Amino acid sequence: MNYLTWRLHRHQVIFAATALVAIAVLLVVTGTQMAHDYTSALSTCAASQSCGDLSDEMFQGDGLLLDFVSAVAIGGPLLLGIFWGAPLIAKEIEEGTHRLAWAQSITRRRWMATKLGWVLAAAVAWGASMTALVTWWHSPENALYGRLDSGHFDIQGIVPIAYAVFAVALGIAIGTWTRRVMASAAGVLGGFAAVRSLVVLYVRPHYLAPLTARLPLGGAVLPGNPWVLSKTLVNGAGHPEALTSTFGYVPAACHSAVFKGPSALSSCLRAQGYHWLVRYQPASRFWEFQAIEAALFVTLATALVLLALRRVERADA
Amino acid sequence: MSRAAQTGDVPAVETVGLGKRYGQTWGLQDCSVQVPKGAISALLGPNGSGKTTLLRMVAGFATASAGSARVLGRPPAQNEEFLASVGYLAQEMPLYRRLNVAEHLELGRRLNPRWDDGPARGRLTALQVPFDRPVATLSGGQHAQVALALAVAKSPEVLLLDEPVAALDPLARAEFLASLATAAAGTGLTVLLSSHLLRDVEQVCDHVVLLASSRVQLCSDTETLVSSHKVLIGPRRGPSECERSFEVVRATHTERQSRLLVRGPGPALGPSWEVLEPDLEEIVLAYMGQDRDSRSLAAGPLSLVVATPGGAR
Repeated sequence: MNYLTWRLHRHQVIFAATALVAIAVLLVVTGTQMAHDYTSALSTCAASQSCGDLSDEMFQGDGLLLDFVSAVAIGGPLLLGIFWGAPLIAKEIEEGTHRLAWAQSITRRRWMATKLGWVLAAAVAWGASMTALVTWWHSPENALYGRLDSGHFDIQGIVPIAYAVFAVALGIAIGTWTRRVMASAAGVLGGFAAVRSLVVLYVRPHYLAPLTARLPLGGAVLPGNPWVLSKTLVNGAGHPEALTSTFGYVPAACHSAVFKGPSALSSCLRAQGYHWLVRYQPASRFWEFQAIEAALFVTLATALVLLALRRVERADA
Repeated sequence: MSRAAQTGDVPAVETVGLGKRYGQTWGLQDCSVQVPKGAISALLGPNGSGKTTLLRMVAGFATASAGSARVLGRPPAQNEEFLASVGYLAQEMPLYRRLNVAEHLELGRRLNPRWDDGPARGRLTALQVPFDRPVATLSGGQHAQVALALAVAKSPEVLLLDEPVAALDPLARAEFLASLATAAAGTGLTVLLSSHLLRDVEQVCDHVVLLASSRVQLCSDTETLVSSHKVLIGPRRGPSECERSFEVVRATHTERQSRLLVRGPGPALGPSWEVLEPDLEEIVLAYMGQDRDSRSLAAGPLSLVVATPGGAR
């Protein structure tokens, strides 16, 4: 069965390996340059005591490259789901070759176990290679901006491996139910995007109870690049002000200050005891969040694989 | 008696009340057949009569909605013992289009414990089938030969073939059946192959199962089938009189003459009647036609249809 799996999918493996090598070369070359720029900038700014401004300047010219790397890292699992997961079973069913395979002396369970074993292992290999490269490539940038926001969190650590496994499992499961390659590919596209977005927006903020902090009005920020979930203007008692149609969230005591300019307004608000109440996840929780999210996606993937297995074992062919 | 009827032990294929329902309609209903070991049995019936459904359930590719199927006494199951004992070739003869013949033989060798492709390789070589080209580039006849070679090299005890010659031209059909006969000769292999035309497979068969209207109409070895029927040609009489005297399978009438295909012994007839031996095709067509007649008349139970004749085994 290993032989058959290799013979059927060797072109996909070779293509993916080639793409991975190309990406690796790009990342190693540009990453080395970025790391060098960063260390030399650090030594320059240390001399002039201006390292606080570094984050405003570094890597601003690399926007296109950063976007490209993000796209590859985020889109990679999706492509695996579409090109590896969706056709794995659906293509056999569409072309009727599952009837050839199942007419041999191997059980459907063993057939599934071999195919799924290899493709999931390949997904892990892809995810691990990509995240190792991207995590290393991003390290100077992480030092400046933190890595708990979704733009950084989703392409580093261990979650990219879990996303790749999930995307492939999703393709396989949809393929066994729709029995059509195109329908499964479309299903992966919609399903993967939907699940990932829902998790980022509605699930991930609640993995651990957020911390709260009070910040004075003005430009103060929390140190250590935390993931800020919300920032609310509250009064001295800690309660948010009611929204009014004319003055927004500005309390009645400061309505007159609105017309005297922004600095008058903020000093009025400060005098009244107003401040920002910030709910946030500290950057130190990066690995805890990675572990929780990876476990979530691996669990989903396991459920999908079991569903696909059950379907294949019971369905008429 | 054919070799098929002589072995008295467990049938190669046995179904009891086997049925398959697709939603509200039955694809096969109350199907009880026995194919003896060593037989080459033709599973006949018009399109939609349930031939594919029957083969799929026997092979374990589909689950039964009613009744049971057994191959050599074993119910279909997902274990290596059962899977190795049954060969199944689906109607579309699936092969991996981009793999070549040698790769197919290699995957068969790796996936089957009793693999023996020596004769199959010889046969494919003799037919000048290229081993190193993707099977997508082979002709229809070569494709079928490769599919058959894989099924035979697996060395099953029972080989189920779904409409194997339907898509082949006459030459390829003859070559395919010759390959099949060669493979079955002297090995004790039981073959059940479906077709909607007896003529296509008659040359290799010694047993017939006839399905129509999703039910079994006939199940017998061919010699018994022929010897238990007679064709009577004589002066025209009313149908009711005929049916009282004989079990008439099919009657055709001209203005002056009646031609009756009857089953079993009947009373002696006067000299005005000529008695002929029917050929297999006439019997099969009569049973199929009878089914069509009964459907067109929207009749109730098929009163003239009898299950396995007592003399069959």
